[in-house]
Amino acid sequence: MRKPTERSSPWLAASGCIASVLVALIVQASPTRLVDGLTIMPTWTLMAIFLWAGVRPQFMPPVAVFAIGLTQDLLTGAPMGVWALSYLVAISVFRFRGEDGMPRDLPPVLLRFGATLLLAHGIAFAAGSFALEQMADLQPLIIEIIASILMFPLPAYLVLRRRRSRGSGFIGG
Amino acid sequence: MASRRSTRQDAEHGVRFSRTLFIALLVVSGALIAFDRPASRSAPFAGFRATFTDVAAPLLDLAAQPLRGIKNIGPYWRRQGELAEENARLRQQLIEARYWEDLAYRQRDRIEVYEDALDVESAAIEDRIGAWTVADPRGPFVRARLIGRGSEAGIRDGYPVINLYGLVGRVYETGRRSARVLLLTDLNSRVPVMADRSNARAILVGDNSEFPRLDYVGRAPDIRPGDRIVSSGDDGILPRGLPVGEAVATRDGGWRVRLYSDQAPVDFVWVWPYERVTPPDQEVEPEQPPTLGTGDDAGTGIDEDVDDAPAGAADDTGGASATEEAP
Repeated sequence: MRKPTERSSPWLAASGCIASVLVALIVQASPTRLVDGLTIMPTWTLMAIFLWAGVRPQFMPPVAVFAIGLTQDLLTGAPMGVWALSYLVAISVFRFRGEDGMPRDLPPVLLRFGATLLLAHGIAFAAGSFALEQMADLQPLIIEIIASILMFPLPAYLVLRRRRSRGSGFIGG
Repeated sequence: MASRRSTRQDAEHGVRFSRTLFIALLVVSGALIAFDRPASRSAPFAGFRATFTDVAAPLLDLAAQPLRGIKNIGPYWRRQGELAEENARLRQQLIEARYWEDLAYRQRDRIEVYEDALDVESAAIEDRIGAWTVADPRGPFVRARLIGRGSEAGIRDGYPVINLYGLVGRVYETGRRSARVLLLTDLNSRVPVMADRSNARAILVGDNSEFPRLDYVGRAPDIRPGDRIVSSGDDGILPRGLPVGEAVATRDGGWRVRLYSDQAPVDFVWVWPYERVTPPDQEVEPEQPPTLGTGDDAGTGIDEDVDDAPAGAADDTGGASATEEAP
């Protein structure tokens, strides 16, 4: 019988992590307004960071979180450092600690993500307002938060289901 | 204890969460936010951003392809039952459009005569640079679009960007193969405009809402709801007369503009290579052949140059100055 650690290649998991973050970043910056009715997107990037930091913490060290935030700043045209700072602080504060990492039940994960989301957007609002030298627009932030809270249960459920089926603490490990 | 503080393992299967690194990254983030302010962005930062968007633009363009394929799927689906009616309406509009087309050709010919007479040159339509939108971030900090053409196609900072219906914004960050367009709705957008009917001037100020505000309109502005708002060209950056939108009165007595460019998704745009009007004090003096006068006269002022110039040129200059002095 194969050990849990042998069930999936870490390279495969790393590829999945990079691919999911890249897709999240591109979707975040893509011209969604071309499609009728879709204007503001949820923060897919934060979802990807949060979930990977929960299931594979070694893939999401502070440098990676910072780099992802900075890439989002550059792709979206925001002042550099705004999302980098907010993701870095929010993930550092609310990441899952302990041997088991992210719990296998959905409600605590949703609760933790909600807190991460609020902190990240709060910091982004403050930092963005500072960079712009005027109050940033609060409405898109609020819509983003609501959209993210509505959308997050689906990827979170899929990730937790995969974790439970593997019986291992970490995806691919 | 010390090692536990410096490199906390957190029992996370080997993930190192160095406090020193974390603080260093916080400092770097703070420094980036402080130095990359849109209002006072330095050339190296702007260059770095432009290079990054150059690299990212092809990837974003690729990602935008499927979205372009399904664009307007919502309205199309809703209008399935109205296609016949719409077809009849479009035929009627086509008949009317032919009349306007004839009129436009005649006006173009007339304008060419006027431009020749006044020695004025305006950018021809075919000079405009077409570009696809490859990214459309609509976040809380910036309302901008990334387009897939850059300085290699002749795009420069400040060029106006239009779509089929009107002014969209202006280019504010140019890479080699990509450029970022600041939309009229962005917080940092300020465009001098005027009412087409009355020439009443105002500044169109973006505030991240769908309807940008008209500021500096005066106490009793000659603006009416529905007035066509066009660019006034007062800043010398945008050409005069670009259609912007319709004036809309607000409840508090102010004015906003319903943008024409919002009539359709901004997926394909034209960049207008409009060269800004240089103020006289910033003009680069063309190299002049050495004058026949004494060395003391050279470069002392316009009057001296006019005196030295041939008779025909002196007449022209004199005419211009006479016009300037007229009340």
